[in-house]
Amino acid sequence: MKKVILFALACLFSTMVLAQNKVTGTVTDKDDGNPIPGANVLVKGTKVGTFTDSNGKYTLPNVPSNAVLVFSSIGYTTTEVAVNGRGVVNCQLSADANLLDETIVVAYGTAKKGSYSGSAAVVKSDAIKDVPVVSFEQALAGKAAGVQAMSYSGQPGSEVEISVRGYGSFNASNKPLYVIDGVPATSGDWSTGNISTSAMNYLNPGDIESITILKDAAAASLYGSRASNGVVLITTKKGKEGDLVSTFKASVGVSYFSYKKHMEMVSDAENEALQRMSFRNYAEANPSVWKSYGSVDAYVQNRIDKYYPAFDRDTYIYKDWEKAIFQKGISQNYEYSISGGNDKGKIYASVAYTDQRGVVKIDYLQRFTATVNGEVKLNDWFKLGGIMQYSWQYQDGHQDGWSSKDNPMFMWKAVFIDRWPYAYKATGELYEGTFSTRFNTINPVAQFKHQINDAKQNRTILKGWAEIAFTDFLKLKSTLSSDWLYVHDKFGWLYGHPNFYAYGTGYASDKHRNINKVVSSTTLNFDKMFDVHHVSAMIGWEAEREKFNGLRLGKTDFSYLGATESVMGTTFDEGYAWSHEEGLLSLFGSASYDFDSKYYITGTFRRDGSSRLAPKTRWGTFWSVSGTWRFSKEKFLDFGWLNDGKLRASYGTSGTLPTDLFGYMSVYDYWQYGDEGASYPGNIANTDLTWEKNKNYNIGVDGTLFDRYTFSVEYFNRKTTDLLLDASVASTTGFSSTLMNKGSMVNRGWEISANVGIIKDKDIELSVGANWSRVHNEVLKLSTDDEAINSGWFWWKKGYNFYQFYTREYLGVNKSNETINGVKPGYPMYAEGSFYQKGEIVDQDVTMRDGTIVKEGSPMPKDGYNYAPARRQNSSSMVIHGKRAMPKFFGGFNADFRWKNLSVSMAWTYKFGHYLCNSTQDEVANDGYRTFGQPIMKSQRNPWTTDNPNSDVPMRIYDNNQGGYYNSSRMLVRGDFARLKNLTISYHLPKSFVQRMSLRGARVYLSGANLMTISKCEIEPELQSDGYYNYGMPALRTVSFGVEVSF
Amino acid sequence: MKKIFSILLVAVLTISLSSCKGFLDKEPTDSVVAKNALATLEDAGVAVNGMYTLLKYYTVYGNYMIQMGDMRADLLVPSEGTYITYSYDYDPSQNSYFTLWRNYYSTITRANAIIQNIDQLEVPADKQATKNDYLGQAYAVRAFCYFDLARLYGRPYRFDNGASLGAVLITTPVSPSEARLPRSTVAETYTQIENDITTALGLLSKAKNTGHFNYWAAKFLEAKVALYKGEMEHAYTAAKEVINQSPYNLIPRANYLASWAEVGNDESIFEGLVNLQSAIDGDNGFGGSFYYSLWFGYTNTGASVVPTLSWRQLFALTPNDIRINWIAYDDPNSGEGKHTGEYWLKKFIGNTGFTAFLNNPRYMRLAEAYLIAAEAGMNTGKTDAAQMLLAVAQRADNTVTSIACTMENIEIQRKKELIGEGDRFFDLMRRNGTYVKNDPHNPFNTALTWSDDRVMLPISSDERIIYPELEQNPGYKK
Repeated sequence: MKKVILFALACLFSTMVLAQNKVTGTVTDKDDGNPIPGANVLVKGTKVGTFTDSNGKYTLPNVPSNAVLVFSSIGYTTTEVAVNGRGVVNCQLSADANLLDETIVVAYGTAKKGSYSGSAAVVKSDAIKDVPVVSFEQALAGKAAGVQAMSYSGQPGSEVEISVRGYGSFNASNKPLYVIDGVPATSGDWSTGNISTSAMNYLNPGDIESITILKDAAAASLYGSRASNGVVLITTKKGKEGDLVSTFKASVGVSYFSYKKHMEMVSDAENEALQRMSFRNYAEANPSVWKSYGSVDAYVQNRIDKYYPAFDRDTYIYKDWEKAIFQKGISQNYEYSISGGNDKGKIYASVAYTDQRGVVKIDYLQRFTATVNGEVKLNDWFKLGGIMQYSWQYQDGHQDGWSSKDNPMFMWKAVFIDRWPYAYKATGELYEGTFSTRFNTINPVAQFKHQINDAKQNRTILKGWAEIAFTDFLKLKSTLSSDWLYVHDKFGWLYGHPNFYAYGTGYASDKHRNINKVVSSTTLNFDKMFDVHHVSAMIGWEAEREKFNGLRLGKTDFSYLGATESVMGTTFDEGYAWSHEEGLLSLFGSASYDFDSKYYITGTFRRDGSSRLAPKTRWGTFWSVSGTWRFSKEKFLDFGWLNDGKLRASYGTSGTLPTDLFGYMSVYDYWQYGDEGASYPGNIANTDLTWEKNKNYNIGVDGTLFDRYTFSVEYFNRKTTDLLLDASVASTTGFSSTLMNKGSMVNRGWEISANVGIIKDKDIELSVGANWSRVHNEVLKLSTDDEAINSGWFWWKKGYNFYQFYTREYLGVNKSNETINGVKPGYPMYAEGSFYQKGEIVDQDVTMRDGTIVKEGSPMPKDGYNYAPARRQNSSSMVIHGKRAMPKFFGGFNADFRWKNLSVSMAWTYKFGHYLCNSTQDEVANDGYRTFGQPIMKSQRNPWTTDNPNSDVPMRIYDNNQGGYYNSSRMLVRGDFARLKNLTISYHLPKSFVQRMSLRGARVYLSGANLMTISKCEIEPELQSDGYYNYGMPALRTVSFGVEVSF
Repeated sequence: MKKIFSILLVAVLTISLSSCKGFLDKEPTDSVVAKNALATLEDAGVAVNGMYTLLKYYTVYGNYMIQMGDMRADLLVPSEGTYITYSYDYDPSQNSYFTLWRNYYSTITRANAIIQNIDQLEVPADKQATKNDYLGQAYAVRAFCYFDLARLYGRPYRFDNGASLGAVLITTPVSPSEARLPRSTVAETYTQIENDITTALGLLSKAKNTGHFNYWAAKFLEAKVALYKGEMEHAYTAAKEVINQSPYNLIPRANYLASWAEVGNDESIFEGLVNLQSAIDGDNGFGGSFYYSLWFGYTNTGASVVPTLSWRQLFALTPNDIRINWIAYDDPNSGEGKHTGEYWLKKFIGNTGFTAFLNNPRYMRLAEAYLIAAEAGMNTGKTDAAQMLLAVAQRADNTVTSIACTMENIEIQRKKELIGEGDRFFDLMRRNGTYVKNDPHNPFNTALTWSDDRVMLPISSDERIIYPELEQNPGYKK
């Protein structure tokens, strides 16, 4: 209390008694002479200070004549100037050449990059603000070493998969934790899947100040049981001290398909010739089929007339399908923000509106966001602040990514060719029937008219915080946050929808989800210098509660044919609600010490208790230790060319919680038998269930050389044990698997990033940078050494990659003129595929991978499959081959150029050494066995015939399924690509012009996304991590033009 | 001021921290913690229903069991595509049909949970019969599952009097560590089945209970098990008891075809209940229902299974047999759309109000009880054996006035009557019968005898990795 009184008195005296000189001045940039607004001016040794206004001017009353003023501003070197009795003290600040001294946002606080011992990648708002994307996630590809960002679809607003340093989980999440302004946030796709969306879409990229991706344990383990897959920290914009500045930004853009080589098809004429060939080969092999037609030719013509009828111009209008289904999507984006503040408070507020039309005519996204971020300083020791973020999003569109008539990508690439271009009748009416000769396909244009498929997403986040400074080195901060996410999907096949009759006169359903997350956290921070010893420490606690409720209802058979809502349905389809709740309690802390800014050591711990685990196992502790040696500060390494250099190392633990909220409990599931309720045991209880444990270590070197070269090299090793695995159990338990902590997996690799400032001049600047990452992933153990778990196209097995393809091995066409093991000439061959263990006596001649043959009755020299050519067989011929969906290396490349007011920046991303699974080949490259007039991929030209016996494309035969591509390595294609993700050309209008217009600044820019792709891939190469392609909307090329003015 | 504020803040934080008790104890709302799920007799009734949900699913009688019975033998044939059940191409690594084994054990687990827990329920005297009935149903369901497991994975009983390997006998709920028991012999499996039936008969209600086991269904099962063991006297007595004393009657010829749409019709002793919620597959009949594969009457269907030519020829000389109407020809020249030119099986017409893919699979029908009584009676010289057979033949063909009770005639009636119900292959194998598979759709001139190893399905090799005690059937790669 005494202290408080003293402090109050000091305040009083400082204003009343010590009345002295008034000092004014201007703070400017040493390089370009421009004023620096918002710079801090402080009387050294006191708390008296102010900030410069928008013209870089400041006024300080009552400055003692012998005082020293301290000028500082972010990005500039702090400079001290003695007043010496002057009334005007100007200061020129020089830009801080040492980027390592920038402040970055890290777990529960900030850190100087130069001293930070964790591994964290920072993406600044400049790198994303002009990119024409809905969500910042889409702009992250290639921006940070070790981080992959992959869109699920090119539909506007679709979810983006972010992977940080590989994949560490089988049956739990592989997604990072998102933390927004210090509070863990709901993320992911909460819609029911008819349209992909992301909860992160709620953030307008223009409101983001910076993104930090925490990669190693030292950086992330403060987030404990959710930190294993990395943490994405998003910091939104706050008010800046200085005048209120308004900024208005508007852009308009246009999108269309980006990758020309995506599923290229042969021409109509060529298609018909190939289909004729299929029927002819079929008829020649099966004389019974053509006998009733008289000749092979007559039979083939009959089939062609049936499946490939000539276009009926009397009945239909010729319409180019591409034009009928697709459009150039126009997007518009408007943002207004206002920012300002003084020593009493700061405010940032913005509103933004986005309107994006997709390439499919019904694809559409509309979003409105509003945000207010303010803080007030009530007195020297008490600050209050709050953030309100609101967003409303509407998405409409087709059902993407599956082989269905609902998906125009499927209809276009797999079903239609130009021969059947009848979207409209000759009368001009829409053709609403099914095309019965065409596999009962439907007119997508008619479908667009009669389908409802939309998703609405509302999100509101309210945060309030208070900060008390007990002393200048001890602060308490408490935050309370509530995050409401509401998602409403609507789906309907309305009357007239040209799909099958199962839904009577129409179908409509609604799905609602509400997620409310409340987080309360409090931290106590200590930070003090003792001579050259710097000690800081933090301790905190956090409580998090998430409530979910969902509601689904649907009805069919509308009584009013124009109905769009289920209320008009007469037949109940579904209708129920459910809810659940979960909690997480945490205690955490950290402590750091550094000696003379040369040696740093940091330790962190977190103790988490989760409702997802049984009482006896729910509490767990996670920790890390890390150290940095800033060797450039050593006298013996004080070379002129070494601007900065540090070596850092860390070790620590983190975890991943089960996805299932009640996975440890023994429960009964309820459903229905006949019209009555039915219940049955739903799982095997596992009260020992616990989180996955990650043990990470990380070693890195960072440096700046010759003022222009910066680099960072890191090696990491992330070992996950106690993996949450749906482990197989004996069938006699009544279950096939139960969630257990079994097995382990490792992700280890290198990350290198480098940047070179080639030209650094007042008027011209050029810098280029690149990053390269290599992640080696390997399953170390499952329940047993032999266990292999089939997961879709992949096979989890000891010693193999998480994304290891497991398919039949395609051995090419039988080019000989003899039948080999049942494979006729021209037919496709597959590895026989029987697996033999080392030492096993083989029951047939076995061809090893290298071609050597093990004779029947001999022992197998090593584990292996039989690669002898054979016909496509059942799943016993599935083999694990070297192909995998995970890239060998990936990264990005960027270049930034500025000449006076003009700047150009570009960003590339690349990925190499992986395969994609093009599942569409079953339709569009099926060797003719199914023929409803499918288009044929260009790769299928010139199939095998007796006249073309060296073809790599098998013989085409109708109704003769030799396996085609189905589930074989034939459908795996190399996915290597490099893509120009973004190119932005921006021009700041000259100051003289801007000032005449009474503006603070004005800028025009042209920005493009996915402008160029270098790849040999036959499909869109930039896919989600499993590399599976099934008629999804490929990435779009968007070019947008924008204007930004501030006043 | 600052201090007061700080104290207040610390106090608030302490209070909020201490209010966190129970913060981490949550329970689901879309399922029920096991200890609360069998707390009352009503709960037990719901759990009893739960025993039946898998049996009607496509992975059991909604598809796979029909393939095992009719596709493996000579009644059904793929019109396109391949079915490994048709060509006996199954092997230990081909796991899709191992779902059958798994689903029977899931159902046994559900029955075991009821058997173990229902005793703890204290019920008033007037509810004792209900409680007994529930318990009886659990025993009967278990017997039903073990019988099918023995038929699928063991060799026919009479081949070696049950010496081959049968099912793993699990009679109480087991944890993963307790579950890895070795297989019993077929004879031991049959003993378990007989004991369970005996227990069930003493507990079950005799009232009609559509979709559930009652006394008569258990009695029918007793008759069929006896028939498979060759205990003809026993089979005859049990089948006759069902025919004479049960509330079930053969549906008259005039109503017979339409009765397949009727839930719990007059001659259905035990069937699975299917509707949109009580699903047959994951997609309202489009996602695996065998009735989808048998689809008839629509264009471009994706249907892929037709009755064999030899089955259709059974009707060549009996045009008055009403079952001839089950053959539906899809004329390729009949208007728009792709018409197949195939003869489809139009027996399962869909439950009233639903599409043709949603049918209640019939597990036990009175017609089969007549056929069991006929065969068992014939073998034991019963005078009414021919009358039993005539009842079935005459119901379908009213021009038949008498019929010789021979194995050949019984077999013809079984084939005609039970097609699509999954009986044929087991029926042939139990008595070492012969058949020919030479349908022009898919000529495959192989017919198994009961000594062939392929009579028994393989145990999944994946399962054997984690459960090595589960011995593989002979003739398959380990």
